[in-house]
Amino acid sequence: MNTASKRLGRIVQNGLLVIYAIFALFPLIWMLILSVKSDAEIYTTTFIFSPTLDNYRIVLFESDYVRYMIDSLIVSGGAVIVSVIAGVPAAYALARYNFKKKEDIAFQILSFKFAPEILVVLPLFMIFQKLHIYDSYFGLIWVYQLISMPLLIWVVRGYFEDISVEIEYAAQVDGYNWYQIFFKNLIPLIKPGLVSAALLAFIFAWNSFTFPLMLAGTKIQPITVAITKFLGTDSAHYGQLAVAATVSALPAIIFALCIQKHLVRGLSFGAVKG
Amino acid sequence: MARIQLENVTKKFGKVTALDGISLDIKDKEFFVLFGPAGAGKTTILNCIAGIQLPEEGVVKFDGEIVNLVDAAHRDTAMVFENYALYPQMTVYDNMASPLRSKLYKKDEDYIKNKIHEVAAMMKMENLLERLPSQLSNGQKQRVAMGRALVRSPRVYLMDEPLAHLDAKLRNAMRTELKEIQANFGTTSIYVTHDFMEAMSLGDRIAIINEGKVVQLGTGDAIYYMPCNEFVAQLMGDPEINLISGTLAKSGDSCTFTMDAGGKVYDLPKEKDLFAKLDELGASKVDLGMRPQNLTYSFEPKEGYIKCTVYSYESIGNKSVIVAELSGLQLRMIAPNGLKVKIDQDVYVDMQLDHAMFFDAETKNYLTRYNEAAIKAFAEKQEG
Amino acid sequence: MAGLRIEHLYKRYENDGKKKKNAAKNDYAVKDLNLVAEQGEFIALLGPSGCGKTTTLRMTAGLEDITKGEIYIGDTLVNNLHPKDRHIGLAFEDYAMYPPLTVYDNIAFNLKAKGVDKAEIDKRVREIAPLMQCDDLLDKMPVKLSGGQKQRVNIARAIIRRPELLLMDEPLSHLDGKARQAMRTEIKRLINEIKCTTIYVTHDQLEAMSLADKIAIINFGVLQQYGTPAEVYDDPVNEFVASFIGEPPMNILETTIMGEGDHFFFTFADSNLKIEVPKRYYNVVSNGFKCKMGVRPMDVLIGAADSKGTPEEVATFENLGDERRIGIHVGSFLLMLITDDEKRYKAGDIIKLEVRGEKTHLFDLETGNRIREK
Repeated sequence: MNTASKRLGRIVQNGLLVIYAIFALFPLIWMLILSVKSDAEIYTTTFIFSPTLDNYRIVLFESDYVRYMIDSLIVSGGAVIVSVIAGVPAAYALARYNFKKKEDIAFQILSFKFAPEILVVLPLFMIFQKLHIYDSYFGLIWVYQLISMPLLIWVVRGYFEDISVEIEYAAQVDGYNWYQIFFKNLIPLIKPGLVSAALLAFIFAWNSFTFPLMLAGTKIQPITVAITKFLGTDSAHYGQLAVAATVSALPAIIFALCIQKHLVRGLSFGAVKG
Repeated sequence: MARIQLENVTKKFGKVTALDGISLDIKDKEFFVLFGPAGAGKTTILNCIAGIQLPEEGVVKFDGEIVNLVDAAHRDTAMVFENYALYPQMTVYDNMASPLRSKLYKKDEDYIKNKIHEVAAMMKMENLLERLPSQLSNGQKQRVAMGRALVRSPRVYLMDEPLAHLDAKLRNAMRTELKEIQANFGTTSIYVTHDFMEAMSLGDRIAIINEGKVVQLGTGDAIYYMPCNEFVAQLMGDPEINLISGTLAKSGDSCTFTMDAGGKVYDLPKEKDLFAKLDELGASKVDLGMRPQNLTYSFEPKEGYIKCTVYSYESIGNKSVIVAELSGLQLRMIAPNGLKVKIDQDVYVDMQLDHAMFFDAETKNYLTRYNEAAIKAFAEKQEG
Repeated sequence: MAGLRIEHLYKRYENDGKKKKNAAKNDYAVKDLNLVAEQGEFIALLGPSGCGKTTTLRMTAGLEDITKGEIYIGDTLVNNLHPKDRHIGLAFEDYAMYPPLTVYDNIAFNLKAKGVDKAEIDKRVREIAPLMQCDDLLDKMPVKLSGGQKQRVNIARAIIRRPELLLMDEPLSHLDGKARQAMRTEIKRLINEIKCTTIYVTHDQLEAMSLADKIAIINFGVLQQYGTPAEVYDDPVNEFVASFIGEPPMNILETTIMGEGDHFFFTFADSNLKIEVPKRYYNVVSNGFKCKMGVRPMDVLIGAADSKGTPEEVATFENLGDERRIGIHVGSFLLMLITDDEKRYKAGDIIKLEVRGEKTHLFDLETGNRIREK
């Protein structure tokens, strides 16, 4: 190929990327714009308006917004911690040991992610009532395992499978016991996978709506459910709604940017055959 | 330092029997080679000795003491793995220090530093210590894996095909280096390989393993000159031994061999003991085993030589192999590099029959060979 | 069928990141390469990885731009021809076969694409298959094949077009041990039969020595030597070629020439080894002259106990069945010798060392170039 046609190709490529970027980012930008408009200007102007921080003041200081955020943090964070503690050993077992119905179990764990939440939420509602864990942190963290655990197990299992079993043998022969090997040799190698899976699980839990809507809602209100409050029966405060949405999206966006770095695999490559 | 014994060790993976009643007695300070084709069970034997795998039946003894229930960490072995199994997140230095930092074999950091530098100097890799495994070539990784084993003074070194992933040239150079280091070992070593040259060069004794069984056990020379069957004969030698089937016939005190291919009749050189043995065994249909260096060739017709055609002529490094074809039978022989040989041209071949081995054509088992008594005596002396 | 002529070929990669490593070492991946392959010749491009041999092959195939220079296939300048118009057959290291097609369809694929009629295709496939011993594979799917079988199909696919030039890039590197050796023989016999001009890229000197009519040894993009296997083995032009060809490699040691009476000797630092310099070098050496001496392990001999060779201590002894290799320390260098002698030595034994002076080569200390007698 000659250089002229190469350059043309590059221009077309970049042009398409720009168009896609506008398409993808527009809703976010629109939301940001809404959040700094007063209720009066919401419908009247598009880009020309007098920006105001009133919405932010009302949402952040004059409502229970911060409490909702903390609720969200507790249930999502708690869910991820439980998933890590239970999921990493499970992933190790699925990667290393051979037992009957291993693949069936692994698939069943994954299949939790297939079922629409609405399908299970009604029976869960009744079970939660009976067990008296309705509207509690424990109940939500428990049910969030449906979201975070399969993801974590499947990602981490893949990482464990990439580590050659001889590395564990070598460490055994070097004189280490299993726990030392696990924490000294295996955890550092699965760290990239563990971190990205945990962050992803956190984001999914954070964004979850159906479960907290049906299984909590009075004492404990995660942010996704609480936002609906700004759609009052009398009037819809779109500006405040936009603020609530913008702020609640922040953790997800920050974490997403973090994962990007951690998604680089390859740490465990190269040490085994070249 | 230890004497390692395996008694009737059997290991199964599901329905597959990997080891089938292996018994070995490896002497203290011996360099012992397990040699066999891929999938023969060599690595499983090593793993059973290291304690990584547990045999279903039989016992593993270190210095007479049964260690079946001792876990890998407490058996005090050092192992070099086929895929090196370096810790990817650690530098070469930390990789080598790892065994000396474990609770069991703890040494102080000064000692570790000295020891690593000593081993690194011996392995010629001082300049690699700060690198990560991913920054090393295969040859370098192999050195590091070896170095990690050598920093300790275990009861036994276990080496699983440490040179297998290197290219031919590097492999041969490393083998020579290993041979040089070997003198300083003074520790029982068990070495797994599928490379004939490594087995022959390094092993004080060699055990030929096939399908989970010990097929033959002895010094390199003993196995090379008196392989117990055709399988071992083919395994021990590169280029492979020529197996020529034919019929023995005795008349008076002389004996003839009629080749199946071509039908040429050879008068076997007289050796009383050999003829007596062949007689005793009642051998008639036999395969003659001839090492490639014991065939001679000529490009001009010569008395007693049989006419063949050149199938191929290929270099194997410092010399070449001519493969000659005679009605479907391929004969390999050694020739110098750089001859002007054309494919399908005529070549005339003769056999130095006084180096021949005899195998039963049915069972493929070893019958006898020329100079058997002398070779036996020599092998016994080597082993003693 | 046609020959190949490469004239003053250069290749430089643009500095766009990916090839930066190459560019940093050497501006040119290939530098002023000249090569003539006569019709029907089998040429091996041999060199360490990253030396530019594959780049040269890819330029010949038309898969890579030519920075400078000309490539002729037959008498046609092919610089600006599309690969499909160059009448070449390609067989690469990884045999990318079309998985949903049978072996037959894989082999026939090219001809179908060209619109050759069915009967003709069938005739050609049936003709090629027995040559590559894949007649009984024709109905199989690629996933069912072993590495060696895939490579056979791969080569069959390359030659079915009846190319004027067959290009192969490390076709055996995925095979190991015996399969590799067997395949090597098959390729050699095949080429001998179809008599197609062939360019074969490899980093394995044994493959090159065994297969090729002529070997082009390349290092850092520069052609070092181009000659028959015997020429590059016996008469290397420099230290690189000498050490690259042959296994075990040639012993190459730094030496200082000493004059004694009207004789000259090679002497070595920290060693009592003394080798007489052959007369033919007397015009180029002088007392105190420093250079490197190369001698193949086969040309170092064990002398009889009463011979005038230098007594040396055995450092390593390797019994390899049909030969024995002995290593001897000369200073810090381990000098290898190969013998058919049946005697078994062990480390520490003393042997008399004799070197066939007439088989020694001299190399310049700086440039590594061969110093020839005048």
